[in-house]
Amino acid sequence: MNCEQARTQFVDYWRGTLEDSVGEFRTHLGSCERCRAEAEELKDLWGTLGTLPEEDPSLGMRVRFYDALRTWRQQEAQRRQPLWWLRHPAFQAACAVLILAIGIGTGYVVRGRDSVEVSQLRGEVYNMRQLVALSLMQQQSASDRLRGVNFAYRVEQSDPQVLSALLTTVNHDPSVNVRLAAVDALRNFNDSPVGRKGVVQALAKQDSPLVQIAILDQIVELHEKSAVSDIQFLLSGQNLNPDVRQRAQWALKQLQ
Amino acid sequence: MQAVRDGDLGGLAVLFERHHRSLFNYFVHVNGNRDLSEDLVQDVFFRMLKYRKSYQPERSFTAWMYQIARNAHVDSIGKRKFEVEIGDREFASTNMMDENLKRKQEVALLKRAMARLPLEKRELLVLSRYQNLKYEEIAGILGCDIGAVKVRVYRAVRALGQIYFELAGEKAS
Repeated sequence: MNCEQARTQFVDYWRGTLEDSVGEFRTHLGSCERCRAEAEELKDLWGTLGTLPEEDPSLGMRVRFYDALRTWRQQEAQRRQPLWWLRHPAFQAACAVLILAIGIGTGYVVRGRDSVEVSQLRGEVYNMRQLVALSLMQQQSASDRLRGVNFAYRVEQSDPQVLSALLTTVNHDPSVNVRLAAVDALRNFNDSPVGRKGVVQALAKQDSPLVQIAILDQIVELHEKSAVSDIQFLLSGQNLNPDVRQRAQWALKQLQ
Repeated sequence: MQAVRDGDLGGLAVLFERHHRSLFNYFVHVNGNRDLSEDLVQDVFFRMLKYRKSYQPERSFTAWMYQIARNAHVDSIGKRKFEVEIGDREFASTNMMDENLKRKQEVALLKRAMARLPLEKRELLVLSRYQNLKYEEIAGILGCDIGAVKVRVYRAVRALGQIYFELAGEKAS
């Protein structure tokens, strides 16, 4: 055994746990002064090292340990309960956020769909009114045609088909009442140049004093100066009703 | 520990009563700080709970425990520097003539020498001498073979001896 090998046995020698190489080791120590001196010197140190007093931890350490253990066991018991995560605040908060997001998302989708549906329905109702107005104005019965004219109030002003139907009614309807109602209904189309022009042109085609006066009133109301020549043409008629003549003269004054 | 691994958390109290003192001494000798050592002991037991599933019954519990202790200590190193509680104050008394005082002087000197030893050597001496762990257990903790443990312990003792005798020489001169 050389010095290097002997040194690996030092610890066993100090510990008293030398095994089969006892003989060889002791022989080496006996013959090697350096190893013997080192082994003995460090053996004392090893001995002193083993006699160092043990230190005691404070009592507070035990208290802290048992407190922490109790807390851990409570948490563990909670975790072991079925569906414990349902009661976890983080899970509940996440659920609340998720439900809110779903609600908002659903609201957007439904509202979008609704607005499309509502506008479709509006369009259908409008078409229905237009159809009713137009078809009623073509009825045989004067009262039906009157109802048709009244329906025209409910149709949007810009509808050219309804305007055309009203002007036809004013010019050609055999019933004075229906024609009067149609003139009134044309007020809805005051913003339309076609409507205004139609009212003026209708004046020459009327033979009923009531309708003529109604149209004259409406021309004044519109301040339609282009109607002056039409009124003058009306006044040139020999058989003009005196009331109409008076109203026409008044209208001319208003327009000038 | 097997009971703890299988869910009996009360078993940890038994382990605490059995091992907390030796663990505390391990830490005190390795880091020299009592307060930190108490914290680390607690840390070790709760790491045991946390990693209880990794415990293998066929392995030595002590080796497993000290492996956790070493990791806890390594993690704490970044936070605090080694503190030597043994100050020169203990060497201040000049008339230590009786045996008792001489013995105290030796112990204090040895603690100072230990404090100057590199960490891995100090730790090895604590495990092999203070804690009286078997070579097999130390080898398991350090991840090396028994022969290497014997050589390393010898080198650690020799290094300690050099520091110790150096300090003793300073004191004598």
